[in-house]
Amino acid sequence: MNEPREDLRPLYWTMLGLGLAGIVILALGFATLLRFAPPGERTDLRAHVVGVFPYDPASGRVDGPPATRFRRDQAFAAQVAWEQLPPSMVVAARWYDSLDSEVGHVGPEPATDLARHETLIPVRTPPEFHANLPGSYTLVVVRYSRGEPVELLGTHHVVVLRDQ
Amino acid sequence: MSPPAPHGLLRRPNRYGLAALLSVAILAALVVSSIASLAIGPVPLRATAFGLPAVAFVMGATVFFLRGLRDPEGTMRVRDMTRAGVLLLAGIFLWLTVLDVYTFTRGAGPGVAAACAAACIPTTAFGLLVVRRLDRNEKEPWLLVLVATASGAIVSTSLVIWGETLWDLIFTANLVPGPAADASTAYSAGIFEELAKGAAVLLLYLVMRDEFDDVVDGIVYGAAVGFGFNFMESISYMTHLYAVLAPEGMGAQAAVGQWYWRQVVGLFFGHATYTALIGAGIGVARQLPGLRQRVVVVASGFLVAIAAHFAWDAWQALVLAGVTSAFAQVLLLHARYLFMAGPFLAMVLLLLAMGLQIEGSALTRHLQEEAATGLGGVMPEEVPVLMSPRRRFRDRMAALAGGGPGAYLRLSRLQAAQLDLAMERWHRERNEHDERRGTEEALRRRVLALRTAETRTGP
Repeated sequence: MNEPREDLRPLYWTMLGLGLAGIVILALGFATLLRFAPPGERTDLRAHVVGVFPYDPASGRVDGPPATRFRRDQAFAAQVAWEQLPPSMVVAARWYDSLDSEVGHVGPEPATDLARHETLIPVRTPPEFHANLPGSYTLVVVRYSRGEPVELLGTHHVVVLRDQ
Repeated sequence: MSPPAPHGLLRRPNRYGLAALLSVAILAALVVSSIASLAIGPVPLRATAFGLPAVAFVMGATVFFLRGLRDPEGTMRVRDMTRAGVLLLAGIFLWLTVLDVYTFTRGAGPGVAAACAAACIPTTAFGLLVVRRLDRNEKEPWLLVLVATASGAIVSTSLVIWGETLWDLIFTANLVPGPAADASTAYSAGIFEELAKGAAVLLLYLVMRDEFDDVVDGIVYGAAVGFGFNFMESISYMTHLYAVLAPEGMGAQAAVGQWYWRQVVGLFFGHATYTALIGAGIGVARQLPGLRQRVVVVASGFLVAIAAHFAWDAWQALVLAGVTSAFAQVLLLHARYLFMAGPFLAMVLLLLAMGLQIEGSALTRHLQEEAATGLGGVMPEEVPVLMSPRRRFRDRMAALAGGGPGAYLRLSRLQAAQLDLAMERWHRERNEHDERRGTEEALRRRVLALRTAETRTGP
């Protein structure tokens, strides 16, 4: 029987090199993750979302009982129990629509300031749209430290219904 | 004299047993993760109740189909094909009942979903044509390439849903939105999507190893699985964006935009490249002697594919975040394909070129040696023709002109059988013999029978 003449070592080493490159990329990714979500930042505090209410943009007040589903042309805003958080804690809240675009935010400010003004978090319809896009909307409440968001304190979901 | 039996043949594990084990492991993982996500997450019950059996049936159908197709004696073929047909019908029926979960048929409407699918067919077919054409020495059968594509479209996409949902609930949903959450999502996409597609490539390799000759074939089947996955994912994104933006009159524009990014710019710069890297690893492993080397090289293929996919998704978090100018976004989106997927595509092309060079050199040598035996399998003057895709094609066209489609097909089968014979000689020389392909003698008899048929009915 003949000895094999084709040398597969270059292919083998190329694949091994690629595998090593893969490990380096994934390690860099993990470092990025740790940079933006540093360990040891957990306070185990939770922000209580009182509810999401129909909202009157003219008066800046809620206008009806809490709901989980809204029409596209219906303005709505979330109410968070800011007073239940430590007064000096710097916090912010943001709304994300079904395309993960930010569609409203308050803060970052100390919780005591937000509590004093009973700050609501309304969803703002982007200027290029006539009404809110349909789909799932997510409210996130985050804690800041040294000017950067470091901990998720709470989330809440509502649905904007498709036009009938 | 017949060559001695290859050493180590008896030590090789049963491939069908391994394939069955892999299938059971995948299904077990699916069942566990779907129970977990049912308990804590938003995956619809229907997707689990119907989707799980659909995946199992389609995987079973694939295994029976490929086993029947490769049955050298043909004794089990009818039974295996019947089983495959029944399982496939049941699987497709169940799959159609859950299809709207990830094609957003309810939101976008079945007409839009069908139009999106129709738009993705020509581009996917183009991708398959190009990749198969690059396999210039010994082209893979269309049927098997399409089986690989269907596996990527149906099995791999279904596998991903549960895994990604669980990851999102356990990790991403507990992170602050922004770079950290985006990096977590990138890990999820890289790990689950590449494992799901890689499992399909590995399964295909185990079931049809006699068609999975080397790194070139690994790249072809890997890319085919990637094209299938990209096909379903494109439809998913197109219909989702249509459903969300249609009320604002921007649905069609958004769907066309997604089609451009995923089916035009990203056709080769994406899933096809990542899964081709996994296929390359499996293809190289197929020709390595030691188990440790094989495991290392397969793991390397998976690692680089996961990393490449991760890097692609992470670009979103690190570069696109905060860019508001539409022009800058379009520029950066194109740059994302070039810089994040481009280097990996270049590596696939490099591996392909190296593989083709090795394969071409080996086939030429074995065709020459076969011609020198004087046994009639290959004539000396046929060697340069067989090693040139252009000359093979020209000869087939001449046969078509002289004897019609029948003559074309007969010559095509003869050329394929001759290349099979040379490939078999190469595998035997390297102790990579596969009992399913048939012995060299049987392949030579097949070549001679085809040559006789061609001479008798020739132009």
